[in-house]
Amino acid sequence: MNRRLSILLLIAPSMAVLLGVFLIPMLLMFLLSLQDEAEQFSLANYLLLVQDPYYLELLWRTIRVSLWTVLCTLLLGFPVAMFMANASGRVRGIVAVLILAPHLISVVIRNFGWVVILGEKGWINETLLWLGLIDKPLRLLYNELGVVIGLTDAFIAYMVLAIATSLYGIDTSLYKAAAILGASRIRTFFSVTLPLSLPGVVAGITLVFSLSMSAFVTPALMGGSSVKVIPVIAYEQIMSTLNWPLGAALAFLLLGSSILLVSLFARLVETKRYKEVFTA
Amino acid sequence: MSSLNSMIDVELRNIQKRFQQNVVVKDFSLQVERGEFVSFLGPSGCGKTTTLNMIAGFLEPDEGDLFIKGKRMNGVPPYKRELGMVFQTYSLFPHMTVAENVAYGLKLRKVGRAEIEERVKRVLDLVKLPHVRDRYPKQLSGGQRQRIAIARALVIEPSLLLLDEPLSNLDAKLREELRDELKRLHQEIGVTTIFVTHDQEEALSLSDRIVVLNHGCVEQIGTPTEIYNQPASEFVHTFIGKTNKLSGRVTAVAAGRVTVETDGGLTVEAGEQRQPFVAGQRVHVFIRPEKIRLTDAGRTPNGGSGQLVMASFLGAFTECEVRVGDHLLSVKVQMVDSTLNLNPGQTVGCSWNSDDVLIMPAARDAG
Amino acid sequence: MKKLNWLGIITGLILLAVNLPFVIIIPSSLTAAGYLSFPPQGFSWQWYEKILDRPEFIDSLWFSLQLAFVTAILATLIGTLAAFALSKYQFRGSRVVNALLLSPLTVPTLIIGIAVLMFFTRIGLAGTFTGLLLAHILISIPYVVRLVLTGLSMFDYTLEKAGYMLGARPFRVFWDVTLPLIRPAIVSGMIFSFLTSFDNVTVSLFLISPGTTTLPLAIFNYMQETLDPLVASISTVVILLSLVFIVLLEKVYGLERLFGLTSQSH
Repeated sequence: MNRRLSILLLIAPSMAVLLGVFLIPMLLMFLLSLQDEAEQFSLANYLLLVQDPYYLELLWRTIRVSLWTVLCTLLLGFPVAMFMANASGRVRGIVAVLILAPHLISVVIRNFGWVVILGEKGWINETLLWLGLIDKPLRLLYNELGVVIGLTDAFIAYMVLAIATSLYGIDTSLYKAAAILGASRIRTFFSVTLPLSLPGVVAGITLVFSLSMSAFVTPALMGGSSVKVIPVIAYEQIMSTLNWPLGAALAFLLLGSSILLVSLFARLVETKRYKEVFTA
Repeated sequence: MSSLNSMIDVELRNIQKRFQQNVVVKDFSLQVERGEFVSFLGPSGCGKTTTLNMIAGFLEPDEGDLFIKGKRMNGVPPYKRELGMVFQTYSLFPHMTVAENVAYGLKLRKVGRAEIEERVKRVLDLVKLPHVRDRYPKQLSGGQRQRIAIARALVIEPSLLLLDEPLSNLDAKLREELRDELKRLHQEIGVTTIFVTHDQEEALSLSDRIVVLNHGCVEQIGTPTEIYNQPASEFVHTFIGKTNKLSGRVTAVAAGRVTVETDGGLTVEAGEQRQPFVAGQRVHVFIRPEKIRLTDAGRTPNGGSGQLVMASFLGAFTECEVRVGDHLLSVKVQMVDSTLNLNPGQTVGCSWNSDDVLIMPAARDAG
Repeated sequence: MKKLNWLGIITGLILLAVNLPFVIIIPSSLTAAGYLSFPPQGFSWQWYEKILDRPEFIDSLWFSLQLAFVTAILATLIGTLAAFALSKYQFRGSRVVNALLLSPLTVPTLIIGIAVLMFFTRIGLAGTFTGLLLAHILISIPYVVRLVLTGLSMFDYTLEKAGYMLGARPFRVFWDVTLPLIRPAIVSGMIFSFLTSFDNVTVSLFLISPGTTTLPLAIFNYMQETLDPLVASISTVVILLSLVFIVLLEKVYGLERLFGLTSQSH
């Protein structure tokens, strides 16, 4: 068979799906976001989003929750990544399976589990009440704390994996070199481990931030009606209010702000020195 | 014609191959006789592998014709050519046992089960590995894998065996062992073989004839001794082994003998050359290190005396560097023929036979 | 005296925390009480029996399984073909094709869901099985492509040459040599697609028809109205089902390797 024809036949099905279920819909959504109710071209939707304090507060809440999630996954994930990097192959494999397997089970179920744990009559509150440490249930759910807990649980594996990958790459003789030069273990961490794991940390932060910004299920289930974030409002605009142009504009606000913040972050981190050390 | 051709197993007629604008094989013609062992020798990028791939059928020549057993093969896909091929990376199917690997070609040819059994056994005996038949390739050493790959190629009784640098992935000692093994196999079964290599020792020791290639052009086709002793070009001479290269000018040509005055102040006499020279011509003089003898200091008939700069003992021989005039000559001394003390700084004599001197015209622009 | 391994302790606690939600659901589903409580009261299968009284859960489980199955087959087929083109042929534009194939990963699935809804409403595919299936295939393709490409990058194409030289025709070589050697990558792509579809909420959310819904979405909707042990029992069923596939994936490919590949470019 002709080479060109083979290539064409091999990629045609995937390109058709990509075009019809991704590229055209995205383009259409963009056009729709630029329409007013009379289907005329207008920037009204975007102007509304940047002028109405309600939407600015919404955007800020979404970013705030994402930043907290990034911080929590980073602080909790780093030790796990370090443990994996130091562990033998077998132990590392077990840790990897235990942290990754939950990701293959629906997030709805995972959130339900947290609701059972964190609820007013949940395992934590009942235990603390029984121990007499508190006299009325703590509010761990249906607020931003609940959403951050849920998102941290949902995305910590990505952070761990990103950091662990960069830690695997560190030449272990560097630790010996630092020790021989007289560095304590804490000193070694700050002068060898941390700087050399930066690419992994940056990748993890970027990934977890983008995922958190667009998370829908966890804010809906663990934030309730009090923690509305952009994805939840976008869903409501599309499915309840049926204001599609505004829903489309919200989707692009989410996509745009997420991309903007991530690239700003990259600008900030990737100093000249960083580039010289980490890019070939 | 046909009766003449009956002993020719492979014929390449003016084969040419381009990749985009680059000509990678240029006007390659060759006839390989039945049972002959021919090597394609040259540095990487010389076109040897491209030519082999055209013979195998993985590439089509842009121009020229290819005949195998008298049949024109242009446009025939590899799976219809009935050839055997052994690859540098062994290329045994990792998910099949040794026996399954070897039997695969026979199965495709719908050979009966009993006969497959028999032929697999015979060929494994031939490569002296009957005991590994139920192992997987991963469980074999590199040398064993390559023997099995050879067995797999031979079992279908190919009209032609193609070897694509089969020894390159082995370490030095194994390489030599398997080289001898290849020689024995070829003598035993006499299959027409084309062998691609960049290693001149392999080519010299195995081949009936060698084709030296450079930049897609055939530099020389000849027997190993012809290639070694009467190189057709400077490239062939320098590629085949280490050499000393001295620039100079022809001062006299008489009775087939050429005398050259080198720029470093040596007078070199040379025996008969493949090409004519005239007095005054700029030339290069080549003498191989192993053709130079070290003597006690003093007058030598063809050579000169100088200072020993360095001597490295390498077991079977010693490599020396001697400064003679302005030249730094590299000399290979076999310890049996020398009771010399080789101390750096001492004065030694260097001499050689005029028949071992090779002269090539200097390129016009070369200094 | 052995020093306390702080890293180990922290790691242990975190591993416990991420698995806790699932561990806790199982005892909660076996409670005899009519509400979620801690500690669970008594032991009973009643909440499993109640699943049978709720046809919407049974139907949606069956619907989700069918959808995931068809998605897995088609996404794997389509993705594998594309991966072959990219790995075997160096053609002009192959980098663009590669980037395009992975591009759905760069857009949140929620946004893809919204966009697809808008387009499919115009062409009459919204709310149809085909529409939902196409969207699920789209979000699975990047994973399949990445897995199979990695599998192929470790495949030595001279093995195919060796097959040809022994007299095998192209299809025979593919069947006898290529396919067996990249099977782990293809099978993992298939299982991963299955789970991607089976777990999905954010795309299905916009594309299901009023009558039929996927199981995660049914649970999601139910949870917004009521929180009772029924959610626990149906979740337990899903957890056990998913575990089968997770164990399979770990055996065939290894989860760490899998995630290393699939989380690269979100």
